Amino acid sequence: MAISTLMDIASSALNAQQVALNVTGENIANVNTAGYSRQQVVMATGPVTTSNGYTLGNGVAVQSVQRSYDAMLQQQLVSTNSSYQGNLTAQTALQQIQPSFNEVATNGLGTAVDNFFGAWQDLSTNPQGTAERQALLSSTQVMTDTFHQMNASLTSVASSADSSLTGISSEVTGNAKSLALVNAQIIDTQAAGGSTNELLDQRDLLLQNIAKDVGISSTVQSDGTATVTLAGGQQLVSGAKYATLYTNPSAAVPPTNNIMLTALGAPPPATAPGTDTNVSATVGGTGNSLGKLGGTLQIRDTIVPGYLSKLDEMASKLVATVNAQQSAGYGIDGPPATTGNNFFAPAGVTSATIALDPSLTAAKIAAAFPTATDPAPTSAGNNGNALKVAAIQQQNNAFSTGNDSFDGFYTSLVSAVGTDTQGAQNATTLGAAHLQQLGSLRDSNSAVSLNEELTNMTKYQLAFQGASKVINIATTMVDAILGMIQ
Amino acid sequence: MRITSGMTADAAVYNLNQGQNALNTLQEQISSGSVVNQPSDDPLSTRQLLNLQQQINAGKQTTSNITKGTLALNVANTALGSMMDIMNQIKSAAATMISGANDAGTIANVTSNLSQLKSQLVDLGNTKNGNQYVFGGFKNGQPFDAAGNFTGTNDPLNVEITSGSQVSTNVAGGNLLRGGTPPAAVGSGATAGGSPVDILGSIDALITAITTKNSAGIQDGVKNMAAAGDQITGAQSDVAGRLSRLNNAQSMITNNQNTLESAYSDMQNVDLAKAGVELSQQTTAFNASLAATAKITQLSLLNYMT
Repeated sequence: MAISTLMDIASSALNAQQVALNVTGENIANVNTAGYSRQQVVMATGPVTTSNGYTLGNGVAVQSVQRSYDAMLQQQLVSTNSSYQGNLTAQTALQQIQPSFNEVATNGLGTAVDNFFGAWQDLSTNPQGTAERQALLSSTQVMTDTFHQMNASLTSVASSADSSLTGISSEVTGNAKSLALVNAQIIDTQAAGGSTNELLDQRDLLLQNIAKDVGISSTVQSDGTATVTLAGGQQLVSGAKYATLYTNPSAAVPPTNNIMLTALGAPPPATAPGTDTNVSATVGGTGNSLGKLGGTLQIRDTIVPGYLSKLDEMASKLVATVNAQQSAGYGIDGPPATTGNNFFAPAGVTSATIALDPSLTAAKIAAAFPTATDPAPTSAGNNGNALKVAAIQQQNNAFSTGNDSFDGFYTSLVSAVGTDTQGAQNATTLGAAHLQQLGSLRDSNSAVSLNEELTNMTKYQLAFQGASKVINIATTMVDAILGMIQ
Repeated sequence: MRITSGMTADAAVYNLNQGQNALNTLQEQISSGSVVNQPSDDPLSTRQLLNLQQQINAGKQTTSNITKGTLALNVANTALGSMMDIMNQIKSAAATMISGANDAGTIANVTSNLSQLKSQLVDLGNTKNGNQYVFGGFKNGQPFDAAGNFTGTNDPLNVEITSGSQVSTNVAGGNLLRGGTPPAAVGSGATAGGSPVDILGSIDALITAITTKNSAGIQDGVKNMAAAGDQITGAQSDVAGRLSRLNNAQSMITNNQNTLESAYSDMQNVDLAKAGVELSQQTTAFNASLAATAKITQLSLLNYMT
C-alpha cells in the first residue's frame, strides 16, 4: 500500500465534494425557477482492493446526480391545470355578463318591462291623454334600448371570446414547438451520455403550460420524450415533430373561428384550411371544460347563445302578444279611428331587432276596445284595450321553460345567470385550492429548500476541508520519508 | 413533509388572498348596505328579492291608479251633490204650482226658473275631470247637448285596483239623467214616480203641464221629481260605495307594501352590527396572517451563517 493511494483517495473525495458543492450551488441558483426540480448527488464508495491482506476502499465516487421528481403529481398538475383554466375563463366571462343582468343593484330590463306595462296602466286612466301616450312611447323606447344594449353586451362577450381563440391557439403551437425542441435535445443529450435533468424539468413545465391552454393527455416515452395528444385524439407533439394549431374563419355570417390542426412535422407542413383537421368540436374536451381554449369555446358556443336565446324568446313573445292585442283595438287617429295597427315592428322578433313599428304614432296606440254600446270605430274615452294590454304583464305565456309571466321568466333568467356565475366561481375557488395543494405537494418533493441546501453546503465544505487535510498529512508523510533518505 | 421557502411563500400569498377576499366582500356589503350585490352572491335570494320588488312596483302602479280613480269619483260626487241641490229647488218650485191656479206672471216665472235649472243640470252632466267627461262613458265629446239629449255611452271607465280586480271611475250619464239609453218613458198617472226616471224629460213634461195648467200633469211631475231625487241619491251612494272600496283597497295595498318592504329589507339590508363584528374579526385574522407572514419569511439559516 503506497502513500500515493492515500493521495488518490483524498483527491477522489475533493472531486466528489466539489461536484456536490456545484450541485448545491445550482439548486440555490434555481430556487425561484418555475418547474425546477432539486437535484441530489448520490455518492458511493470507490472499488475495493486488497492490500497487505486487508480489504480497503479506494475513496468516493459520484454515482449520479438525481432529480427529485414524482411522475403522478406531475400528471395531476397537468389535468388540474386544464380544468382550472377552463373554469377560470368561463368565470371571467360570466363576471362580464352578470352586470347586464344585475337587477338587484340597478334598474335593468325587468324594470323597463314593468315600466312599459305601467305606462299602459297610466294610459287606461286617461285614454285620450297626449302626455300618457307620449310617456308610453318613450318607456317603450327605453325598453327596446335595454333589449338592444343587453344583446350588444352579450354579443361583444362572445365576439371577444371568439377573437381570443387565435391568440390561445398560437400560444399552444408555440409551446408545442418548444416541447418538440426539448424532446429533440433530450434524445441528443442522451445519445451523448449527458445529464437530461434540466431538460426533463423544461419538458414538464411545457406540458403544464400546454395543458393550461388546451385539454391534453401526455405520455412520457422510454427515451424521456413526451408525446402530447389533444382531447379529440389528434397528436400535437410526438418526439421532435409537432403540429400547428390555428384558427380559420368559418363560412357562417358573421364568421366565427374554427380551430384547425395540421399534420405532424419538424417543422409541420404549412397551414391548409381545406385539408387540415377541424378540431373545434373536440379540442375543448367534454362540454368544452378543459383549458383556456375549452372555456373560451364554452362562452362562445354555450353560455352566451343560451342567454341570448332566452332574451330573444322574451322579445319575440312580447312583440307577438302586445301586437295581437294592439291590433284588436282602436286608436284615436280618427275620424275614423284605425284598427289592426302593430305596436312593435312585426319583423323585429329578437333582442337585437325589437323596435316600435315605424308607422306607429301616439294617436295610433290602441287604447280602445269595441263594446256593445261603443261599437267600432270607438270613442276616444274608451280604455278597454289599454286595460287588456296592461293585463298581459300578469298573464302566463308558454315559454320554453314552462308557463310564466314576463316578470317571472326574466327573474328566472337573472337567477340562472347568478347560479351559473356562482357555480363557476365555486369551481374556480375549488380548483385554485386543489392546485395550491398539489403545488405544495410537488414543492415538498421537488422544490429547493434554502435551509437544506445551506446545511448541505456546510456539510460538503467540511468534507472538502477534511480531504484537503488528508492530502496535507500525506504530503508531510512523503516529506518525512524523503528526509530519511537525505 | 419537507417545507421549502417557496411553499411558505405560495401558501402565504394564497392565504393572504383569501383573507383579502373575505374583507372585500364584507366591505362591499357594509358600504352598499346590501347583502346581495350581484345575482351570483345568492341566486335564490335574488329571485325572491326581484319577486318582492316586482310586487312593490305593482303596488305603486295600483296606488297611482287608485289616486286617479279617487279624483275622478270625487269630481263626479261633487257634481252629483250640486244636482241634488238643483233637484230640491225644482221640487219646491213644482210644489208651489201644485194648486194649478196661479196667474200667468207666476207661471212664466216658474217655467223660466225650471228651464234655467234644467240647463244647469245639463251643464253638470257635462262635468269634466281633466279632459274626461265623468258622465260621458267612452265618448270624449260633450255627452249632453243643450236640449238634454244624451250622446255619450253608459260604459264603465275601469281602473285596476288589484291584479284582476277593476273599479269603474265614472257614472253612466244616460242612466242618471235620462233613466236609460234610449230615455225611459216619462211617468204619468199610475206610472208617475216609478223608477227609472227620465229626469230631463220629466222636467220638460212638468214645464208643459205648468204652462197648460194641467194639474194632473203637475201632480205627476211632482211625483216624478221626488223619484228623480231618489235616483240621484242612489247614484251618490253608489259613488260613495266605490270611493270607500278604493279607500279600502288603498289601505290594503299600503299594508301589503309595508309587509313586502320589510320582507325585502330583512333579506337585502345588511345587519350592520353583525357585519361590523365580522369585519373586525376578519381584520384581526388578516392582521395576524400578515404578521405571521412577515415573521416566517424572515426565518432562514442564512441569518446565522457567517
